[in-house]
This record gives sequence, C-alpha cells and structure tokens, in this order.
Amino acid sequence: MYDTIKSILVLIALVASIGIFFRYAWQRLWVNLRRGQPTPPFTQWGERVKGLIVYVAAQWRLFRFRVPGIAHFFIFWGFLLLSLTILQAMVEGLLAFTNPHFVIPIIGTWGALAFVQDFFALFVIAGVSYGLYLRLVVNPERYAGSHRGKGVKVLTFILTIMLSLLLMNGLRINLDLDLLGRYRPISTLIGGLFASLPDATQSILAEVSYWIHLGVVLLFLTELPQGKHFHIVTSIPAVLLRDLEPRGRLPKPADGASGVGTMEQFRWRTMLDFYTCTECGRCQEMCPAHTSGSTLSPKLLTMNLRHNLEERGAALSAKKTNGVLSKTLIGDVIAEEAIWSCTTCYTCDQECPLFIEHVNPIVEMRRHLVLEGKMDKMLQEALANLGRYGNSLGQSDRMRAKWTQGLQPAVKDARREPVEYLWFVGDYASYSPTLTDVTRKTAQVFQHAGLNFGILFDAERNAGNDVRRVGEEGLFEMLSGKNMQALSKCKYETIVTTDPHTYNTLKNEYPWNGNRPNILHYTELLDQLIAKGQLKLSKKLDSRITYHDPCYLGRYNGVYDSPRRLLRATGCELIEMSRHGDRAFCCGAGGGRIWMEEKPGRERPSEMRVKDAAELAGIREFVVACPKDVTMFKDAVKTTGNESKLHVKDVIELVYEAL
Amino acid sequence: MKIAVPIKFVPDLVEELTIDSNGAALDTSWLRFIINEFDDHAIEQAILLKERAGAEVTVICAEGDGVDDILFATAAKGADSLVKLTGDFGGGINSHAAARALADLFKESKPDLILTGVQGHNDLDGSVGALLAEYLGMPFVGYVAGVALSDGKAVIRKEYPGGIIAEMEIKLPAVLGIQAAEQPPRYVAYSKINQIMKTAKIEDRALANLDFNGGATVSRMFKPKAASQATMIQGSPDEVAERVFGLLKEHGVM
Repeated sequence: MYDTIKSILVLIALVASIGIFFRYAWQRLWVNLRRGQPTPPFTQWGERVKGLIVYVAAQWRLFRFRVPGIAHFFIFWGFLLLSLTILQAMVEGLLAFTNPHFVIPIIGTWGALAFVQDFFALFVIAGVSYGLYLRLVVNPERYAGSHRGKGVKVLTFILTIMLSLLLMNGLRINLDLDLLGRYRPISTLIGGLFASLPDATQSILAEVSYWIHLGVVLLFLTELPQGKHFHIVTSIPAVLLRDLEPRGRLPKPADGASGVGTMEQFRWRTMLDFYTCTECGRCQEMCPAHTSGSTLSPKLLTMNLRHNLEERGAALSAKKTNGVLSKTLIGDVIAEEAIWSCTTCYTCDQECPLFIEHVNPIVEMRRHLVLEGKMDKMLQEALANLGRYGNSLGQSDRMRAKWTQGLQPAVKDARREPVEYLWFVGDYASYSPTLTDVTRKTAQVFQHAGLNFGILFDAERNAGNDVRRVGEEGLFEMLSGKNMQALSKCKYETIVTTDPHTYNTLKNEYPWNGNRPNILHYTELLDQLIAKGQLKLSKKLDSRITYHDPCYLGRYNGVYDSPRRLLRATGCELIEMSRHGDRAFCCGAGGGRIWMEEKPGRERPSEMRVKDAAELAGIREFVVACPKDVTMFKDAVKTTGNESKLHVKDVIELVYEAL
Repeated sequence: MKIAVPIKFVPDLVEELTIDSNGAALDTSWLRFIINEFDDHAIEQAILLKERAGAEVTVICAEGDGVDDILFATAAKGADSLVKLTGDFGGGINSHAAARALADLFKESKPDLILTGVQGHNDLDGSVGALLAEYLGMPFVGYVAGVALSDGKAVIRKEYPGGIIAEMEIKLPAVLGIQAAEQPPRYVAYSKINQIMKTAKIEDRALANLDFNGGATVSRMFKPKAASQATMIQGSPDEVAERVFGLLKEHGVM
C-alpha cells in the first residue's frame, strides 16, 4: 500500500517540479531570448568543444580565485556524480509499487562508482560549508549586492541533499538493503551512529531521509531557473557559444548603428550572459571603476540587465503595457554614470569564470547615448576635435609632426619614400607637451638601432581605439578609413606603435582583409632588436623599478614579457607590484575615460595604482609603456604626495639612458 | 512656423594666421574654415524651437570647404532644408552683400523667424542680423540667449552683464542675433550624418550680382608687435628688492 502511494507521490512531485522547471526555462531561454537581435553564426566548433572541457569540466577560470575555485570544483563534480544517485532515487520511487528495492543497472550496481560518490558527497559538504562560511562569516566585498539569501538558501539545499543521502545510505547499509554497502565507507560511518536503534525505527528514518533527499532535490529544481543557479543550465551554452574573436576586437553593433537603448536591441547571445551570471562578484572586486566608488559594478550591471530582461519578458508575454515597459534601459535600469564609468580595462571579462561580457554591452549602450547626443561636455569636445582635426587635443593636424623638428637625421616621411618600419606615433605622443620629449627619445633610439623608419606626418589620424569604445562607431569608421587610405599609399613592412591603444585597434579592428602587416608595439620591436643584437645597450642602470602593464598591451594582447625583458636589458632591477601581469590595475584612462570629467572627491584608479608601487621598498621609478599612463601617473604621483619618492618614466626613457 | 538660419564660415584659429602679400587680408591658402561659433548656437536654438513647438528649419550657407558636411550635420540634428549659396566668393563677402543677398532670398521664402549668430570673429562693421532686419523691415534683437514662441510673437531672453536677464516680446516676423542657445550645441553622431547624407538634399542657389556697397575696407592687416617680455625676478625678498632698485636706476627713474 505505502509503496503504491510512494510511487504516485513521486510521480506527482516529479511532474510538478519538472513542469515548473521547464515553464521558467522556456520563458527565459526561448521566449525572452528570441526577442533579442540575431547573433552572427558560430564557427570553430573544435575550439568551442575544447572550451567546454577546459572551462566547464576542468573549471579553469574558477581557480583564479584559488580556494573558492577548489570548493566550486568539488561541488560541481559532486553534483555531476551524485546526479546519478538522484536519478536512482527518482526511478526507485516511481517503481516502488512493483519493486521497492529496484536498482538501476550500473548506476546502482557499480562498486567503484559508489565509492567515488560516497567521497564526493563528503567533498560537496566541505565545499558547501566553505561557501556558507564565505557568505555568512567572511562576506567579502565582491558579494555586495548579490542575492545573499538565495545563495544561502541553495547552499543549505545542497547541504541537506548530501546529508540526507549519506544518512539514507548509512541506514540502508545497517538494514542490509544496500548491495554496495561495502563501497560506501562514509555512509557506513554515518550509519554506525544509528546502529543501536531498533530496525523499525531505522527503516522509518531511512524512508524519511529518502523523502527529504528527493523533496529538496525537486525543490531545488524549481528554484534553479529563477536565479543565479540557472548558471547550472546556461553555463554550458555560454561557454560553448563564447566570443572567440581576439579580445581586442569589439563586436559590431548589434542593432545597426543605433546602439542599445532598449533590452531587445541586445543580441540574444548577450542576453544569455545575463542569465549566466552567478553573482560571484569577481568582476566587481577587480573593477577599477567600482573600486574608485563609481556607480558601476560589472556584476550589478549584469544583474540589473537580467532583471530587466525578466520583467520586460513577462510584461511583453502578458501583452500588458504596464509600468515595466515604460522603464528606460538607460536611466531607470542602468545609470548613465555607470555606463560612462567603464575604462574598458577588460578585467571583468577576464575574471568571469563563464565568459560573461561586460565591456561589449556597455559600449552598445554608449553607442545609443552618443546617438542621442547625451554625453559629458569634455567628451563631446574631444569627439568634435577628433572629427575636425583627427586628434582629441584640438590641435591642427599640420602640427602633428612638430616634435620632429631639429632631429638629425630628419625623420623620414613614409608617404614619400619606402621604409621598413612605419611608426604610428599616436595623438598623445605627438602633441602632449609632457610627452614629446619621450617621443623624440623613441626616435633617437630607433635611429641608434639603425632602423629604416618613417611616419605619416599630418596624414596620421587618431587610430580610433577609444573612439570606438566611447560608442562613436561612425567616427571610428571615418578615422580608420582615413588611416587605411594613408597607409595604403605607403610602402612598409611593419607598423610600430607607441600607444598600446593604437596597437590594439590597428592589430585587431582595422579592415586589413587578410593583408594585415606585421604590427608591433615598440617594446616588442626593441626586445626583438636586442635579441638579434641590432640594438646594444652599453650602460647598466642600477635602478630598482616597477612596471605597470597597460591594459591594451597586457590583458588585451598578451604582451607581458617583451617590456620586462627590455627593462632587464637596461640593467634595472624589476620588482613586481602585487597586482601585475594580467591582474594589473588599470590607470583609469582607457575607453575614453581620459576625455571625461573625473568626479571630485573620489580616489582615482591611478592614485590607487601609485600606492601599489609606493608600498614596494626602495622603488625609485614607476615605469610604463603607454603615453596615456605617463599623463595619468605623473598626475597621480603628485596628488598622492609621492612626487619625491616615485618618478614616472616610459620604458623608452630607460632604454635611452642605457644606450 | 518657418525658421531660417543663415550661417557663415570663419577662419579656424587653431591654424596659425598669415597675412597675404598685399598686406590687407589673411592668406587664404593656409586657412581652415570652421562654422562661426555663434551660428552654431543659432542652429541649436532653431532645433530646440522645432522640437518644442514644431517648425520648418532651413539652414543657409555660402559654399566653401566643409560647408556640405556642416549642412548635413544640421540636417542630422533636425534641420528640414539646406540651402547652399553659390557664386564667385573668392574675395569673400562682406556683411552688407551677404545681408542683401539673404534679404532677396527671404522675401521669397518668407520665414517667420530668422536666427543668426550675433557676430562672427571676422566681422568688420557689424553683424548680418541687424542689416538683414533693416533690408527686410523686420524688428531685430541681438545678443539673445533664449527664445520662446507663442502665436505670432516671440519672447526673448537677453543676458546683461552683472547677472541681469531681460525678457522682451517681439512681433514676428523678426530677426534675432543669437549669442547662446539655451543649451550648448548638441553632438551629432557620424552614423547619423552618414545616414542623412543618403536622403537629404542640398539646394544650390546661385547668387548673381553681389552688392558690396556700404562695407568697410581693410587698408592694412598686420600682426601686433610682440611687446617686450616680462622678466620674472627670483630670489629672497632682499635680493628681489635690490634688483628692482637696480633696474629702476638703470632706466633712469631714480
């Protein structure tokens, strides 16, 4: 009798919970996502499947936060292995009316599996307990704004599922009902605690454990699609369908030229990211905009977008024009200030274990704001200057090469004669009075190495990297078009850039149509010349220095070693800051931030970065490889009172000194 | 409501200015031209009025380098028709000739309101606005920093030095010299301009006989002689005092 009722109850519970799961999943993954814009076709399937193995199965990116990563690894694998015991519990319940002790072949009869599962149940308990400790006791800043209650609830669910499983198995072992009892040492140990109870009591307890186990599993199933734990489902397509283009290549606008001003203008693939966010806050913890107190947090951005996608999806499906639909994406859902605060440093995208994109949706929304003409006054002026003169500083294009005056031998005009190296100098290096001295030194180092190089003189325009990233796609096209036109008339083999931003867009975004020349940052070029023996440094400098990786050289393009080798070649002793390499903290100038007003009263990213260097003992020089960094950090060294302690220098200055 | 905005291009001061060999004008071969800043404000004010109350905005400019781009940009902002005046303007057009030519144009098109920049930095003897009003027999207010329209009238705000704002009513049709629009001229995205270039038309209008009468002529143009440079005296107060004393003595003052 009981067994029949059990079967019926399990059937009802299964149908109900699976029904709820699919109802939500359908609405979110099919109905809501279908309202998004089309996504370009996915290719490179080999690479994609490899990603599943590395980033889902091996959880590679999670280990960037070591201990939480290990905890998650065990929860994940425990979940996979133990889903088989969940299947056993379901089938066992369904078939109870004919055979109350039914076991699924292999799943319920394979000793080795039982052994591994038994231990993994323990690992999951350990992992989940650590998760609870993190949320309830440590509560790191990265969790600020996450749904803490839901997180704790689900962790408690998992803990209950594991404990009830071990208890059920233990009691069944005591009652001699478990064929694989001897393969389950942990369960046996737990069962031992209850061995003294009468068999009838144990049998009832085992049944209660079964119901708790299955009940909480099914409850979890209904909870799954409603919050951050939906990543269990979406992480697989999210990793599989991740952007495989170079990091430095921003996707084309999703909805024509208009940018994104309402949710449905996002690509459906971008929307999938919103559902994939686990609210872990790794992005938030590392974000320079968030750390300096702006309203932007990449995590909250994604969560707010998800919420809007949800509520709009429901409202559109209900065909009701309630208040939800009149909420504006930019303004009500995401603050304009948050959108403009991003430095596009890529830390958030890099840290996300599930490849959620933040820079791309931010730029999409910026495109909309630019189209509406809504922007900071300084930025508007910079864009107007870029359109008119080809540089953000509002200076005549005829003065672009003024810094070359007096250099002997004269710098070649690459438009007039063929050169081996075409040097793309960039705006700041060409015009900024504080930088032209560094630029002249660069030319002198090139001359010293006997390079056959030339520049574009007044035909060079801002390369447009940051123009693109503030959302002015049309202006980017205009600038890149003019540069391409100028370059097409020159004969050269390699392009060398001073500015990592220029380097990035030339290398990754210009329309070379398969004829991309060799493109090098000057640190790469000089590193190669030293290796070949073409550039010899005669002096040994004995400074203790530290090196700041520019975002667009390091994180975006993976150039970490060339500048370091170059610095060591000068004889300097390089001491790394705690945050270096791909974890280097942004100076705050990227993504067009250098053209925008700084909110007063906040500690700027550049100031925090200077403090990183000031902490190191005996460092005299703060070395950078980006003209914007020189500007940003010279200022920050002053405002943090480190002027007498730290000197900001470009790598080239040290190379020049060591000639 | 028809609003007309005649604009002009002026030399861009970003470039170094040189004087031609005759010594009475700028050397145009090195000049870059840019829209007169006040005219940019006049366009913004016209677009604001259009957005607020609906109007048909026409922007008019004499041909020259970069004029098409600016006209398309104004269309992207919301201007309805674009007119380019063509003719032989090699020697430039003075305000009188411009005002007469525009007056002929407006007698035909009969705008209700003409907004123009209150001045241009290369004006010689006054702005086009006032002259235009005279030729058209319309009222004129200059240095305007805000306009509101209500049937057949315009309420105008004018800022006076010392933080005083005056409001006055003027009967339409009228000419206004705009000093500042109610908001800074808006940014217009390149994609928007590219889009509008596909559909917007610039109407060419040939100007046959320009009447330059009444204008001033420049007899000599030159750069001011650099005044002798100031010298910063550094040192302790005593040293500075001694040096100043020495200098005064040297120059025979003491």
